Amino acid sequence: MNGFDTKIHLLLTIIAPLVGGVVAWALGSRGLSAVRQSAAVSTLATLGLAGWLVIRALADPALAAGLPVALVEVPWLTGDFFNVSLSLGLDGLSLWMFGLSALLSVTAVFVSWEAVTDRPVGFYCLLLVLESAMLGVFAARDILLFYVFFEFTLVPLFFLIGIWGHEERRKAAVKFFIYTLAGSLLTFLGLLVIVLWSTAHTNIVTFDIETLTDHMRTDPLPMTAAGGYLQMVVFLALLAGFAVKVPIVPLHTWLPLAHVEAPTGGSVDLAGVLLKIGIYGFLRFSMPMLPEATAVAAPWLFALGAAGIIYGALVALVQTDLKRLVAYSSVSHMGYVVMGLFALTPVAIEGANIQLINHGLASAGLFAIVGMLYERFHTRSIANLGGIAAKAPWLAVFFMLFTFSSIGLPGLNGFVGEFMILAGSFQRAWSGVSAAWQTWYLSLAVLAVVGVVLGAWYMLWAVQRVFFGPSREPPRHGEEPAESLDIRRHELVALAPLAVFVLWIGLAPGTFLGPVSASVRETTGEAAIAFAARMAEEPATADIVERPTSPSPLAVLP
Amino acid sequence: MVDLDPKTLLVLVPALPLAGAILTVALGRLLGPRAHWPAVLSIAAAAVAAVTLLVGLGREVASSADHDHAASPVELTPVTLWQWASIPDAYQPAAATGLDLGDDLTAKAEGLPAAIPFTIGIDLRLDPLTAVMLAVITCVGLLVAIYSIGYMHDDPGYPRFFALVAAFVFSMAMLVAASNFLLVYVFWEAVGACSYLLIGFWFRKPSASAAAKKAFLVNRVGDFGLAVAVFLLWMTYGTLNFHDTLLADGSPLPGILGMERLADPSGYVAGGVGTAICLLLLLAACGKSAQLPLHVWLPDAMEGPTPASALIHAATMVTAGVYLVARCAPLYVACPAALTVVSIVGATTALVAALIGTVQNDLKRVLAYSTISQLGYMFASLGTGTLLGFTAAIFHLVTHAFFKALLFLGAGSVMHAMGGVIDMRRFGGLRRVMPITAATFLVGSLALAGIAPFAGFFSKDEILASLHARGWPDAHTEHHDADPHEGHAGLDLPAAAAFQAVSFRSESDGSAGGADESASTFRTLYWMSLFTAFLTAFYTFRAVFMTFTGPTRVPDEAGHHAHESPPVMTWPLIVLAVAATVSGWWLFSTHALADFLAATPSLTAPAVAATATPHAFHLDLALQGTFAAVAGIVLAAAGHFGRRSDGPQPERYLGPFETLFAHRFFIDEIYTALIVRPLEFVAMLSAWFDRSVVDGLVDFVARIPWGIGAVVRRLQSGLVQRYAVAGALGTLLIVLMLAWRLRG
Repeated sequence: MNGFDTKIHLLLTIIAPLVGGVVAWALGSRGLSAVRQSAAVSTLATLGLAGWLVIRALADPALAAGLPVALVEVPWLTGDFFNVSLSLGLDGLSLWMFGLSALLSVTAVFVSWEAVTDRPVGFYCLLLVLESAMLGVFAARDILLFYVFFEFTLVPLFFLIGIWGHEERRKAAVKFFIYTLAGSLLTFLGLLVIVLWSTAHTNIVTFDIETLTDHMRTDPLPMTAAGGYLQMVVFLALLAGFAVKVPIVPLHTWLPLAHVEAPTGGSVDLAGVLLKIGIYGFLRFSMPMLPEATAVAAPWLFALGAAGIIYGALVALVQTDLKRLVAYSSVSHMGYVVMGLFALTPVAIEGANIQLINHGLASAGLFAIVGMLYERFHTRSIANLGGIAAKAPWLAVFFMLFTFSSIGLPGLNGFVGEFMILAGSFQRAWSGVSAAWQTWYLSLAVLAVVGVVLGAWYMLWAVQRVFFGPSREPPRHGEEPAESLDIRRHELVALAPLAVFVLWIGLAPGTFLGPVSASVRETTGEAAIAFAARMAEEPATADIVERPTSPSPLAVLP
Repeated sequence: MVDLDPKTLLVLVPALPLAGAILTVALGRLLGPRAHWPAVLSIAAAAVAAVTLLVGLGREVASSADHDHAASPVELTPVTLWQWASIPDAYQPAAATGLDLGDDLTAKAEGLPAAIPFTIGIDLRLDPLTAVMLAVITCVGLLVAIYSIGYMHDDPGYPRFFALVAAFVFSMAMLVAASNFLLVYVFWEAVGACSYLLIGFWFRKPSASAAAKKAFLVNRVGDFGLAVAVFLLWMTYGTLNFHDTLLADGSPLPGILGMERLADPSGYVAGGVGTAICLLLLLAACGKSAQLPLHVWLPDAMEGPTPASALIHAATMVTAGVYLVARCAPLYVACPAALTVVSIVGATTALVAALIGTVQNDLKRVLAYSTISQLGYMFASLGTGTLLGFTAAIFHLVTHAFFKALLFLGAGSVMHAMGGVIDMRRFGGLRRVMPITAATFLVGSLALAGIAPFAGFFSKDEILASLHARGWPDAHTEHHDADPHEGHAGLDLPAAAAFQAVSFRSESDGSAGGADESASTFRTLYWMSLFTAFLTAFYTFRAVFMTFTGPTRVPDEAGHHAHESPPVMTWPLIVLAVAATVSGWWLFSTHALADFLAATPSLTAPAVAATATPHAFHLDLALQGTFAAVAGIVLAAAGHFGRRSDGPQPERYLGPFETLFAHRFFIDEIYTALIVRPLEFVAMLSAWFDRSVVDGLVDFVARIPWGIGAVVRRLQSGLVQRYAVAGALGTLLIVLMLAWRLRG
């Protein structure tokens, strides 16, 4: 597999959508079809590049060993005191998310094919900028770069929702933007404290995530009263941004609104990729850099995850808007991921990691089909739809497939993550916590399994009302051509790749779990060890691991 | 016959129907009215493969058996198709975590390596139990598929139906061939999904789509049990594999049902954890096999096409629970309390379902309740925890598959001729219209009622015998010192000692009266089962008389040409009728099935094998059973024979009980009131809470800066003079402050 240099490959992949955006801009005067074709070509090209890069990374033994591949380092500020370079690369944590971003961008373009006719140049350009930003977030190996890309995902989506959204688009866009931004500013402050802490102790300013992680391992932030529980404070600051992004209940209310108002393409990217940045943040920053704080917070976040599963499912159960129902199902499903992450057992964490991908595929598929139904019937109201399976059998087949994936039917991808998360959670509850915590963990784990029943309930009820039963159709607006209501070619292009991966991950999850296992373990190992130490030292006190008190990080700044 | 390696055959049994399903989906539109070919041919080939395996394995068992009835385990080493997932160092026994969690939790983890990978393969295995199940699934599946060619004729979803049937046969074959609990769980849900899609086959009917959803959800409740049981099994045994495996470093990892653990008399956890696992597995079995309290989905499932009901909701899928418990026999015999619960659930379900069955007027629903009831028999038998009980349950599973499929297909034939009408009050005297259906239905009914020499008689007799042996253990000693009216002849066995020594050891450990208590429980269960036999015969023949005797009446929907079904439908009926006639006698008299099953590794666990008893015909039990059945038939005849099927019915003498039975003990209503409505209320409340409180709070927080802004905004009036004043004042303030500091 000796193509060109992987560095250039990675850079090209991230830049390709931007180039496509420029081309689309230039072709703007030639009308809708030229613009969307150029967008399609550039997302497909990016997918090709990203897919190839993923394959190359998989062939690289370094990846399986937990090391980054395709490292790009561009020195930016170097000197005695500053050592800042813009560095990019992929490792096991980011590999699949990187690929998923490229895949779902294609879906986002093709679901917008006929839905977006108003100002297409702006729409597709923003979609492509968003793709670039998403790829960049996962490739960034530098806090500054990460944060820049992170914020850059917000701006295009803000406009996508605010301009091309539905009735309440402005409110939704503002709420989404402010909520996420407010959280992420706190996150940035937290990350800055980590940078300053390291600077204070090494006298070198670096934003490199790997260097900082290594530093935190030998010289962690204090977790003692004397140190002001600084580690916990930073953890909470990081949590603020990541929890909003995931979203962890009760910080989720921006999500249903944003989804319902967003254009389909925006929903696909939002559900499929952007929510995952929160989880990715936990994996990339919180857990490896702040293991002891993670260990303290884990039981509570575990509980919030379980609560989110049930709460999201219950709220989904009574939704009358199909898109809102799918949005709440996202809240519920991200609850599983949070739970798996903070169960802190290898099986659960790897399950959470794969569940990111699974949820990305299934929810993107569901949102895409909801959008297709909206194009046909101009309604998302469950009560106004019925018997669609008779008129659009293939659309129904795809919806069933993604529904089954979402409710964790074995043989499909959703089961893999769900099963591993629950198995790992039970493992934690059974033999990984002190006796005092056991009831807490065990009842939450059982609650999460109850969520599996509820999940089937709301999804299948929606399927029953929308796709089955006697045919019901809302009055059409204007004249609809008498063509078939079933799936169209561009819609098939949008959905088929997702379906392939839904089956592939379901049938042979080992292909997807194996290569990233080492990375996931390495980044979460410290937190798991800290947790075990905490549990072994019950009754718990706040001072879990005594560290020599260090001076305040701000006091030693030059 | 091409000489194929048994492993290849084992893979072919599920693989062929899968290929059939895929081909049907791919070519369905192209094949049009011939869309049944891929499914029928592939299932036929799978049936040939399954029967070949059965015969081959049977020979092996026969040759390996020694003469003193101590069956040695026979199985085919598992075939691993591919690794599903492998997670290194996933499992750490509780002991390795350094936490003191009590013996209960760390019980079986001792002696295991410190870290075990979580390795799950697509592993298929073959042992006698699997071979029997595979043969039943594929053979009944084949007959049902052939029958469907006629029944589903002209349906717009013709290819979809055959694709789903083939997919079901694949999933079910995988379920019984799987060699680890994860794979069992996978196909446990997969058969549920096929069932969901087949119940909702006519999805335009609101009742059908509602029934499909209900079936899936109730099954999900059962799956909840299976999922948690699987997690606990993993925690307890460090693996989910049935078979023994080797770790990477070459050290052995005993599988849950592997030879190593089976040979170890203390290989299985008892106590709280063991019982919890068994009860959770039972919950799963109750969901899939429609036992109380999760039986409510099966009667509604009759909304699906009748051949699907015959295959899935009568003959095969619903027996998955019986299979699961039988497969996990060693786990159960370590926990006698759980076993007793199995029996109680089974016998109670049998009785309740039979009572409900006596007042149903929908022919398919009568059969549905009878299925629930017969499955209850199997559970009652499994719960005895004896080798006889386990084999009797599987024996009844086999005969039931034949005669219940026969009855369902017969009901389908009636429905086909009656233009879709299935209410027995609307037709009658059909024996003149459709003689083959009537004759075969009668055969099936005699088998179901348990009249010798039809199949159900023998298998039900074995079940009653297994219950009897637990209720009156003394009667099974050589001395016959029990009350001669309670004991029965023909069982002069040396096994009673083994019973009490092995099967009930913890009860006798617990209290001296333990064994007596369980005996009295089983006595009650025996009488319940006997009464159920009476009810079974009654409701079965009530249906026979209402449908086939009396003046000929045909509903308007049937048109003027109510006639016998085409040969493609009647031939499967005839084949099944033959099977329902001879299978019981043949399997009973030759002991072929019981001896064969006794070589199943699960049933060779010392605790199970020790309960082995010589084969015997229990004349007194047979007489009791036959008497009950004949009484039921006589009562049905008194009420219905030769009468108009819509005439007055004897059930009216039941008084308030009729209402109770007709409303199925109000169980659906109770669930709606106790679970569905409260949950919906909580959901409404959560949605309100989400909108008003959670989001309201967010909006409130968002208003705070806005409120501050509203105050501050007043200052920004745009009047330059005011800014100038403010600037001057500010400058003054700074000057004053500086002056203050300089002064100090």
